[in-house]
This record gives sequence, C-alpha cells and structure tokens, in this order.
Amino acid sequence: MRALTDVETQTLFSKLANYTGRSLTQLIAPSDSTGDDDDRHVFRLHESRVYYVRLSIANLATSIARDHLLSLGTCVGKFTKTGKFRLHITALDVIAPHARYKLWIKPNGEMPFLYGGNVVKAHVGRWSEDCPEHSGVVILAMDDTPLGFGVTARSTAEARKLEPTSVVAFRQADVGEYLREEDTLFTT
Amino acid sequence: MAVRPPPSAAKGSRSNPKARKSATAGPSTLKSKVSKRPSSKQVKTKPGVHSQTLKASSGAKPSKRRQKTYTDKELKLPALNMITPVGVEKPRGKKKGKVFVDDKEGMMTILALVNAEKEGQIESKMIKARQLEEIREARRMEMEKKKEKKQAELDQVKKDLKKGKKRYDAPRENGPEVDKQKADGRKNGKPKKRVSFA
Repeated sequence: MRALTDVETQTLFSKLANYTGRSLTQLIAPSDSTGDDDDRHVFRLHESRVYYVRLSIANLATSIARDHLLSLGTCVGKFTKTGKFRLHITALDVIAPHARYKLWIKPNGEMPFLYGGNVVKAHVGRWSEDCPEHSGVVILAMDDTPLGFGVTARSTAEARKLEPTSVVAFRQADVGEYLREEDTLFTT
Repeated sequence: MAVRPPPSAAKGSRSNPKARKSATAGPSTLKSKVSKRPSSKQVKTKPGVHSQTLKASSGAKPSKRRQKTYTDKELKLPALNMITPVGVEKPRGKKKGKVFVDDKEGMMTILALVNAEKEGQIESKMIKARQLEEIREARRMEMEKKKEKKQAELDQVKKDLKKGKKRYDAPRENGPEVDKQKADGRKNGKPKKRVSFA
C-alpha cells in the first residue's frame, strides 16, 4: 500500500471530476475538519486499486503485510495496465454528494436500470438543466437515493425532442452490481 | 607471460607454487618472491609497470595511487551521435523512483489544475452545443417557411380547381378561340361528316 504518484493522482482526479463539480475539494480537505492531520482522508494504492481512507487508518494498515491486506477504506476504482482509471460502483458514495449533473429516474425505471440497462427517456423523472452530451451523470431514484452513474447520450435540449424509447444516459455502474458482480467485485 | 625459472631453481620452488609467478603478476607477493627468485636472465615487462617493478626490486612499498581515469569530457572527445533512451540517463541529485503526492497542498494543486481543465472542456462543449442548436433552429425555421409557402401555393391551386374549370382556364389567351373552332368543326375548315336519320 502506497500513496499515489502525481501522474496517478491527476488521472484519478480527472476521472472523478467527470462526475463531480468544484466541491471535489471537500474530499481532500473537508471544511468541517478540526485541522487534525490524522482526521483527513487520503487516497492509497494497493494492488492497483485505489482506496479512499482516513489517514489514521491508513497508517495503522502499514503494520499488516502487503499480501495479507485485502482492502481498507472505500475502494474508488482500479488502475488498468495501460494507466487508465476505472471507477467502481463502490465509489458512488464518494461522488454522489458532489455530483455535477444528476438524473432522477421514476420508480418504473429503477429495476431496468438496476439490472444493467441504460436509461430511456420514458423513465426519466427529472434531469439537471444545461447538461451537455457525453458528460458524467449520477443517477438517482426519485427519493434522492443514488443508484449509479453513467454518461449522458444526448444533451438536455436534444433529449427533450427524443421519443420516449430512446436512450438518454448510458449506464456505467449501478448498485445492482453488488449482487451481479458479487464474486469479482472485491477480488484482485 | 610467466617467466620460467632455470631448472636448478625449479626444484626449490616446487613446494611453493606461487613462486612460479613472475614479478609482474601482482604487487602483494612481490617482496617475498623477488627475494627468493634467483637471478633471471630475462624479465619481460609491460611498458606501464616497468617503474613499479623497479620500485619493488628496490624494496619500496607499491604505490596505492590509482591511475586517474579520464571522462570523455575531460579528454574533449566528441560525443557519439546516438540516442539516449529516456530513463537510461539518470539525473544526479534527484530522488530515485516514484514521487508521491501525499500532502494536502500538492493534491489541491493537482485538483485545481484538473478542475480548471474540466470546466474549460465543459464550457467549450456547451458553447458548441449552443451554436449547433442555433444552426439547427435556423434550418428548421427555413424549412418551415418553405413548407408554408408550398402549402399556400397548393391551397391556391385547390381553391381555383374548386371554383371550376372555366375560371381555371380563363387566364389562357387563345382558350375560347380553340373552343370555338372545336365547336365549329375541324381546324382546316371542312365541315364534320355527320350521319343523321330523317
């Protein structure tokens, strides 16, 4: 387990910034922190996976041998062999409060989405205005429960003219993965 | 390179195999060997170590001063025209290995950079989308206008048709004349043949 290099940090942040706005700074330096250094959260790399973890816990974890340490904190995603970063569904709790664009889906669209389908226009209850196409979006239920994230297929203006069956957002991750990918989600 | 001692000396030195080595073999064993060695007829020496053997024979300690090695720069040799791959050349005085970013300030700097870049991208995307939307709107308006015009023309024609053929033909200049001629008979003046029953 180690801290991230500057290149890795940049890759990670640019991926996170797809979904979040300026409030991403809250992840590194929470405004309500007491200034205690142990209290802040850091990103740690362990076997190509990145974890968002409190510094005091990360320091404690140094006493565990590398091959015995399975996971700690919240897994944000993993670095691919080519150096790109893939966000996992486990990162949803980290990005959802800071989401830049949001898309709410109606109760009748929740199950199709949670089974891994894209979001069709007929299932959209609400969406953020002025959202360009191919931008990251956090998908929520009508009661503001985050269900997953994806990328928009069309901008909001264009999506208004579409027919109800056309896709407005492509799914990237949904909470249904906790069940569907149960075997592989936490294995290295 | 070893010089063989004469046969008389060979017997005595057999117990100590090291004694067979020449004076030039190494400085550590020089002293003892030289003292044991009988007068040799010919000693072959390398040009560089000649002075050393002299010193050794005189009983002085071999100098520990190493020969100075010159770098290419010192000798003013021209550099070879070749490519040094990235990573082969190691910068001196720099940290070896990865450079970690673990302090809050460093992370904030990177985050600010990334955020600025992302906002720029989104802004440009929005501007582009807006422009495209404007173009699309203009095109739509144009098409609508064309359609309306066509519809109006069609309506006019329909209206004319409804009012009757007469009026529709009215604008023709030679229309009535033709009709007259047709009514009279043939164009060339011959009366049309008729069959009638009395």
